[in-house]
Amino acid sequence: MSSIIVSGDTSGAITIAAPAVAGTNTLTLPAVTGTVNLNGPAVYAYLSANQTGVSAATFTKITFNTIASPGFDTNSNFNTSTNRFTPTMAGYYLVTVQVQTGSGSPTQQVCAVYKNGSAYMYGNNVVATGPQALNVTALVYCNGSTDYLEGWGYQSTAGSFLSGSSASMFQAVMVRGA
Amino acid sequence: MSLYDKIITIYPSLTILDFLPNVGTIRLENASDGKGDYIAKWEHPTLAKPTEEQLA
Repeated sequence: MSSIIVSGDTSGAITIAAPAVAGTNTLTLPAVTGTVNLNGPAVYAYLSANQTGVSAATFTKITFNTIASPGFDTNSNFNTSTNRFTPTMAGYYLVTVQVQTGSGSPTQQVCAVYKNGSAYMYGNNVVATGPQALNVTALVYCNGSTDYLEGWGYQSTAGSFLSGSSASMFQAVMVRGA
Repeated sequence: MSLYDKIITIYPSLTILDFLPNVGTIRLENASDGKGDYIAKWEHPTLAKPTEEQLA
């Protein structure tokens, strides 16, 4: 037998097939109850235009507004209008936010991952005069329905966040199911 | 004039350290929704949170 087909109760089917190569391979499933997500959500959004008018000493949501190439959104979970990532699969997500500050002479700068409107994880507080590339990485659980993630930035003087897919971007990927 | 500038004008003794993420006792935010800056946290040990009249 080269494959096993498991039919759903009402429709659909899953086929488990052996590779057409010599040798014996073993697939061992964990002794847990859960859903295996082989293709969890992955997103790469970024700023396509400079975000100006950032006030001094004020944490400001970064308006990541595009997923155009080289960006992507494999599960259509990133809203480029609200600038939020709301994954529809429950699980643990590795999130990276980066922002390039672009003007002013701030002496303190930091960015953060926000979960449901509150700060979840801060990056390093960069103490250096002038624009900097700031970043933060966090591991976050999302419930797959209402939880959402955003990137926020802070600088001690008024300024802006610079556009560019490698300058100011939001990336997230599911690393483990719930 | 930004909210930060207004607060500094009301309380000149405040410094940027009072507004720092994580360690500051005052937190200003802007949700980029067109509603502008707002005070998300005010936990200063001696200075009272400015009133809407003071900030107007």
